[in-house]
Amino acid sequence: MKKYEMQKPLYVLLLMIMLALSGCAVGTAVQPWEKETLARPEMTFEGDKLDTAYTEHIYSSKEGASGGAGVGGGGCGCN
Amino acid sequence: MRSGSTTKSTVFGTVLLTAALALPSVEFAYADAVPERSIVSFKYLNYQDNQGLLSQSGSNTNGLNTTSGASSAVTPGTSGSTSSGSQDRIGVNAYSVMALVPVAGEWSVGTTYTSDSVSGASPTYHSSGLAKMTDLRRAIDVELTRYFSRGSVSVGTSYSKEIDYISRGFNIQGSMSTEDKNTTFTLGGSFNNDSINPVIQPSVDEKKQVASGLIGVTRVLTPQDIVQLNVSYSKGTGYYSDPYKLYDNRPRHRNSVTALARWNHHFDDNGTDGTVHLSYRYYSDSFGIRAHTLDAEYVQPLYKGWTVIPLLRLYAQNEADFYVSVGAAENADPTQPTPPPSDAVYYSEDQRLSGFGAVTLGVKVSKQINKDWLVDVKYEHYEQREQWSLSGDGDPGLTPFKARSIQVGVSRAF
Repeated sequence: MKKYEMQKPLYVLLLMIMLALSGCAVGTAVQPWEKETLARPEMTFEGDKLDTAYTEHIYSSKEGASGGAGVGGGGCGCN
Repeated sequence: MRSGSTTKSTVFGTVLLTAALALPSVEFAYADAVPERSIVSFKYLNYQDNQGLLSQSGSNTNGLNTTSGASSAVTPGTSGSTSSGSQDRIGVNAYSVMALVPVAGEWSVGTTYTSDSVSGASPTYHSSGLAKMTDLRRAIDVELTRYFSRGSVSVGTSYSKEIDYISRGFNIQGSMSTEDKNTTFTLGGSFNNDSINPVIQPSVDEKKQVASGLIGVTRVLTPQDIVQLNVSYSKGTGYYSDPYKLYDNRPRHRNSVTALARWNHHFDDNGTDGTVHLSYRYYSDSFGIRAHTLDAEYVQPLYKGWTVIPLLRLYAQNEADFYVSVGAAENADPTQPTPPPSDAVYYSEDQRLSGFGAVTLGVKVSKQINKDWLVDVKYEHYEQREQWSLSGDGDPGLTPFKARSIQVGVSRAF
């Protein structure tokens, strides 16, 4: 609709990304032998896929906002 | 199951490959290792929502006799009034089956089938003018992933069918890690092509096409901390109106930007062995909706394979530019719908486009029975109120909306 409305948040987001990228060079690198905890399932961002699919489906059919974690999956006539 | 449809959608996905390759990313970023074992999971969902009564809005209005599905009966939503003065609205019974199989050490194939049975009563304007509806949705998706030493590439396709709505989707994503594997970049894109044929308006033969792209960074901060930032952009064209609403004419374009930041932290030092998941999502679209979502959950392992996960979710959005609030006449008598302003080009009285806030409280309990079997149960309570709108533009004419859901799952590794 009004294109200028989209641009401001977009710039903010791009700035956030650049900050995140520049953060890559900061701090002490975690070594491979220190990653036992990070390998645990609850430390990944994947979670329980079927649970996530149900939950996102419910929220996207009851709220104005949706998406964010990914863009796969089918649409539906529920929103 | 639905092999004909799957084949069709695969062919369709191939046709769309060229377009989708030009787009940015999708899905979860930190999944770049081949699964060690095959997994088959089953999950059942029971969902019921209800909404406060404004009054006995008896008759359904204006010939909007039913929403999607074969139901022809027109009744106000009378199924089960609760003691708190609210009425049951929509109920859902769904089940899903998922399989993920590693192939030849470098590949995996994943597929999910979902059947979703919906019935109840849905408002035709604001919280009122209930129309009975039933619907059955079936969906299948397939994803193929190739793993490399420092990354992965996935392609997937999806097909979803309701009596009045068919969606075909295709997606591709790639992820690549730095040499120390402490930083992972993700890039992906998807394309959906939907057909809409409302049961009550056979003359409406519409399309909706949505292209989305995502770019993400996942970063290991410490041996107990990992963070992720995803930014996605979605551009949609086509039929966005709701044919089952009384006054509803929405723009034919909807573009959105979403930023999602997530942080997982593991408590090693205090002896709890727990993990906290925090996330914040910002959403902004060309309908004028801005939304904030905060998610927090805490994973606490207990004895003998038991795990308990309490969760809290906070959500708030402002109203869409063209949302029409409940008028004085409707406020006094909910059977009198509020007409949109005479000069309005776009208008909607869909409460999901109003300003509101929402809270979810939930708990999930799982039990790892042995190295092969996992079972879990989850309960969530959800509530929406216009007073909780952060922007203060809630519609006082709407009544609070509540829902509860129960999930039961079982998973087997081979």
